[in-house]
Amino acid sequence: MAVLRARLLLRPARRWLSQAEPTGPAPPAEPLYPPIVASITAKSKAAQQRRRELFKQRVHEAATVEEKLRLYGKLQRPKYMVFPQTFALNADRWYRSFTNTVFVPGMTPRATAAPAAGAAPEAGGAPGAAVAPAAATAPEPEAGAAARLDVGELRSLACDALLQESFYQNKKRPFLYRDQDHTPGPFLTQLVSTLAAFLSAHNPLLAASSLDLKPEVNYYWHHGEEVVVHGHRKGRVDPVRFQIDDKPHLQIRVPKQLPEVVPLESDLGDVPVINHKPSKLPLFKKQYENKVFIGSKVADPCCYGHTQFHLIPDRLKRERLIKARLEDQIEVVYRSNGIASLFAWTAAQAMYQGFWSDADVTRPFVSQAVVTDGKYFAFFCYQLNTLALTAETIKNNPRKNICWGTDSKALYDVVEDGNVKGFNDEVLLHLVRFLLNRPKEL
Amino acid sequence: YPLFQRGGPQLRIFRPNFFMLAVRPGVPQPEDTVQFRVSMEMTKVDIRNYLERIYNVPVAAVRTRIQHGANNKRNHRNQREKKPDYKVAYVQLGQGQTFQFPNLFPEKEQDTETRSFDDFRSKYMEKEKQKDDPRRGGVPDWFGL
Repeated sequence: MAVLRARLLLRPARRWLSQAEPTGPAPPAEPLYPPIVASITAKSKAAQQRRRELFKQRVHEAATVEEKLRLYGKLQRPKYMVFPQTFALNADRWYRSFTNTVFVPGMTPRATAAPAAGAAPEAGGAPGAAVAPAAATAPEPEAGAAARLDVGELRSLACDALLQESFYQNKKRPFLYRDQDHTPGPFLTQLVSTLAAFLSAHNPLLAASSLDLKPEVNYYWHHGEEVVVHGHRKGRVDPVRFQIDDKPHLQIRVPKQLPEVVPLESDLGDVPVINHKPSKLPLFKKQYENKVFIGSKVADPCCYGHTQFHLIPDRLKRERLIKARLEDQIEVVYRSNGIASLFAWTAAQAMYQGFWSDADVTRPFVSQAVVTDGKYFAFFCYQLNTLALTAETIKNNPRKNICWGTDSKALYDVVEDGNVKGFNDEVLLHLVRFLLNRPKEL
Repeated sequence: YPLFQRGGPQLRIFRPNFFMLAVRPGVPQPEDTVQFRVSMEMTKVDIRNYLERIYNVPVAAVRTRIQHGANNKRNHRNQREKKPDYKVAYVQLGQGQTFQFPNLFPEKEQDTETRSFDDFRSKYMEKEKQKDDPRRGGVPDWFGL
């Protein structure tokens, strides 16, 4: 019986074996079982990783930029408040390490080549001599052609604004510690608005620009990692969160991006590495809204930045620093203001275009800034090459952001009896060059 | 200290209890920062003047905080024992100077003689055990009624 059954069983088996292996049913196109991945809710490193991946996927798949920004800054935790205008010693070194920025003293190579073209706008004294060097650098149609800038007229505009604010207008004594809002503030507003209006004939970008008065610029980012020290989350590894809330005095926003200064992957220096906690700067933590803002909402057509103007407050004036015997910190104040404000602005512009730390920028974002205390002007130009500053994205990121900056120079020496003594044309021309900056197509 | 208003008398303090004690920081501090324990009555201005005039140390910035001494330990009578409060000052030096708290107890280098003597002494100490009561005659102490 058993033998019969075995033979019965065997026979079909032999049939199977004797036949040439048939082309059985093809393996199904989709796998039969779902993929084996880590759990979402478990208390394990794999589950944590999977949750992070899901979050990144959600942000990548967000339909609009507003939705992306909302998800990016949804989770609120204590973060370091970074102030661009700070009294902290050597703050610009710390800020450079937080924002992965290289500082290059002096101005951009394009601006130093521009003096040849800037010499062309010199009063129509020698247009011919100026055209030759201008043609060597960049055949600008403006140079020596129709639009010729009169330095005398520009100087008179600047002196008019200065005298109106400080001499002609009858102002009472400034309130205590309100010196900067009394004279240099209105002078700066007046100067910039008149110069921008005057130069919009030469620079069509300025004609389509938007001038903001006392706008707000905010940016939120992660950089590095730390272990939580006390609280119910003690012992966990957290990213170090930063937030910049800046209120520049003036801002010019334009609908077209300024051209890049150097290629995206260029390396012009080193970023300082500081192994201490940011609280030793001193920098303080607070938990509030994670805001990313350039000065206007996302739907605004003028979504790229051109120039910012910052006014140094009373507590960081030159005289106070000299009295406290901190002369070397004067330039640090200007530099830290330029680096922090411009990083926040350019990074927020990049976020408005949909880039974020996981989706790094594909083109550099360039903006300019002028930091002044009414008399001394310092010029900065920032190129944002990377937004990837978090602990995991910065590992294989060779790109660095670059900031060009000058030392502070006086625009004038003193205002006496309706005359401005010692007017410095260089500073004015530098400012004019900044305002004339535009993309090459225009 | 009483508030100074223009025209008022200058504040004069005679024989103040101002002391400064340089300590090793518990958490790593930047190179230009020195940590001190100071008297509770000293202000940032006092600390700056103290260092600049008595020791000629250029001071760029001073930050202070008061450390609360814990009150949780209890003595044999179950009374709480308070550890005293003290003020900590973080001084940032000027003119680019740096400071590193020195190692006051460095590891001393042992030469061969002291090392062999130490080995010999530890071996000898091993043999010296606590001797039992000789009246028990080598009987273990758990053996009894």
